Amino acid sequence: MIKTRLGKVFDPTEHTLPQNCKEFAQSPQTLEFDDFTRVYFSTRSLDQGGQTFRSHMAFTDMSKDFSCVLRVSTQPVLPLGSLGSFDEHGIFPMSVIRHENQVWGYTCGWNRRASVSVDTAIGLVVSDDEGTTFRRLGPGPILGPSLNEPFLVGDAFVLKTDGMFHMWYMFGQRWKRETEAATPDRVYKIGHATSMDGIDWVKEDGVQILPDRLGIDECQALPSVIWFGGRYHMVFCYRDVHGFRTDPSKGYRIGYATSTDLVDWTRDDDALGFQTEAETWDAEMQCYPHLTVSAGTPYLLYNGNAFGRYGFGAALLALT
Amino acid sequence: MSNEDTRTGFQWEKLGKVFDPGRTQGRPWLKEFAQAPATLIFDDFVRVYFSCRPSADASGQYVSYSAYVDLDRADLTRVIRVAEQPILPLGDLGTFDEFGTYPVSVIRHEGKVRAYYAGWTRCVSVPFNVAIGCAESADDGMTFQRMGPGPIIPYSLDEPFVMSGPKIRKFQNTWHLFYIAGKSWKMVRGRPEPVYRIRMASSPDGVTWTKLNKDLIETVIEDDEAQASPDVFWADGRYHMFFCYRYSENYRSHENGYRIGYASSDDLRTWTRDDARVGITVSPTGWDSEMVSYPHVFRLDGRVYMAYLGNGVGREGFGLARLTSHASWAA
Repeated sequence: MIKTRLGKVFDPTEHTLPQNCKEFAQSPQTLEFDDFTRVYFSTRSLDQGGQTFRSHMAFTDMSKDFSCVLRVSTQPVLPLGSLGSFDEHGIFPMSVIRHENQVWGYTCGWNRRASVSVDTAIGLVVSDDEGTTFRRLGPGPILGPSLNEPFLVGDAFVLKTDGMFHMWYMFGQRWKRETEAATPDRVYKIGHATSMDGIDWVKEDGVQILPDRLGIDECQALPSVIWFGGRYHMVFCYRDVHGFRTDPSKGYRIGYATSTDLVDWTRDDDALGFQTEAETWDAEMQCYPHLTVSAGTPYLLYNGNAFGRYGFGAALLALT
Repeated sequence: MSNEDTRTGFQWEKLGKVFDPGRTQGRPWLKEFAQAPATLIFDDFVRVYFSCRPSADASGQYVSYSAYVDLDRADLTRVIRVAEQPILPLGDLGTFDEFGTYPVSVIRHEGKVRAYYAGWTRCVSVPFNVAIGCAESADDGMTFQRMGPGPIIPYSLDEPFVMSGPKIRKFQNTWHLFYIAGKSWKMVRGRPEPVYRIRMASSPDGVTWTKLNKDLIETVIEDDEAQASPDVFWADGRYHMFFCYRYSENYRSHENGYRIGYASSDDLRTWTRDDARVGITVSPTGWDSEMVSYPHVFRLDGRVYMAYLGNGVGREGFGLARLTSHASWAA
């Protein structure tokens, strides 16, 4: 399935980014233009005190084959949310679609909590300048917690097809500690929602659409879907619930599933044929994947080691 | 009472403080506060739900539980029973109601009792966030089980946080949820304070909600006026809402603290505020001399009562008032 590995194609430390962001280019997501591809990503600034980060959206425009960086965004794409809002402490990631002469962005907003580290919800922002800057439709989210998805609703990926909007997203199931003294880790799965207008969504509410490979505490995140070769293809990332930051054997890997009807998905991670070389940029971790068809060719964009601290890479796919 | 008197306002006879949480024994979770009374009527007694707190923890932070007292139906000033346990445990790690369940509103439904309640979590940049959950009771409202670990009505574009104060009602087979939604967090002397307004949603089943997406009650004392406890009552062909409101700053005082307001509506969507008719305010002295808040109006045996909070927003308990006018409610 992976035909050609193109290696790392964007390194944030080689560019000057707005909002004093120096490292991280996480969760690349594309907007296709005629002669280039705009790749949105989340980068980070240091909070006051230097102990914590805030994630901000930025983009780079790349050649259609991802071999050249043409430019990077020079102004903030979207300011963070106001005091007490769901997206006050970070926006990571954002999924973009074109809709009626606008670009719509589905954001994952982060806010800090006291007993656990964070909660997230999904926002909607709109651009009237081809995706250079975005504005909020309101201070609140369009999709957040519900009866059976109590927290950590985020990582939306939106696809318009047959007059319907589909969203695949992450929802939290529980927080748990590896040991009594450990800080809580989260378990999350991928769910599905539909909408007629892209604003009002109906969730399946607590229905996990992909089977677990690592047991019930497997964490699944960042779905991305394309139509190619007569069926739908989904990539996502998954990992163990504990130890994923430091133990490469528990870190993120990229998963893969296919569907013909957007209802039933068949998971087959091995079909992706992902192989890495020892001690390279993506040897320890592969995460935050994104599928796009650029100039008729399907590509996989993804982050490697350290959750994308030093950029993202690409691979050319042979999808069937 | 003449029609002219009815137009000028309601008249309430205060029955005094009915329940004082400081006098209960053997309930470490019920040390202070009896907030936001809400009633469920039984043959021989009236069950009044309220929210209370154990003593603050070492860092001065509170959690809140909801519980009930049963009042003698023949003499509502007589407490005949106090709940042995909270009606619902706190939520699991990371859930919206991990640190509090306050307030609660109850309704009978298909042989069960359903509770809509606000759940509290703790944040970092602001002190808390609140969302509305739902739980059901199969034992006449003594204990409740959550319908799910998450909230029953979502945050949305213009209801971004602090969704609280639910009041559940059913009119003509449609469920209505009146609640408050935060508009902004305002920094007051270095401390974030939420500004919120009264909102409404409707549902065919009490589970799936359609929001009206509109502030129901205009502000009168200032733009950042906070409004709470939207208690809606149907009488004489109109809807009547008693609620409470306060200033955004220095509201823990007599001057800027809570007062009870009034509005009426023909369709539940458009409300006319007319606080001058409310007929109840602070007393010159006593337990409700600094503020009156969190009204709940209910009908019992041909009379209309209001349960409400006094000083300290219920720190010392709740009291009752009885409507003395038997005339038409119509304006």
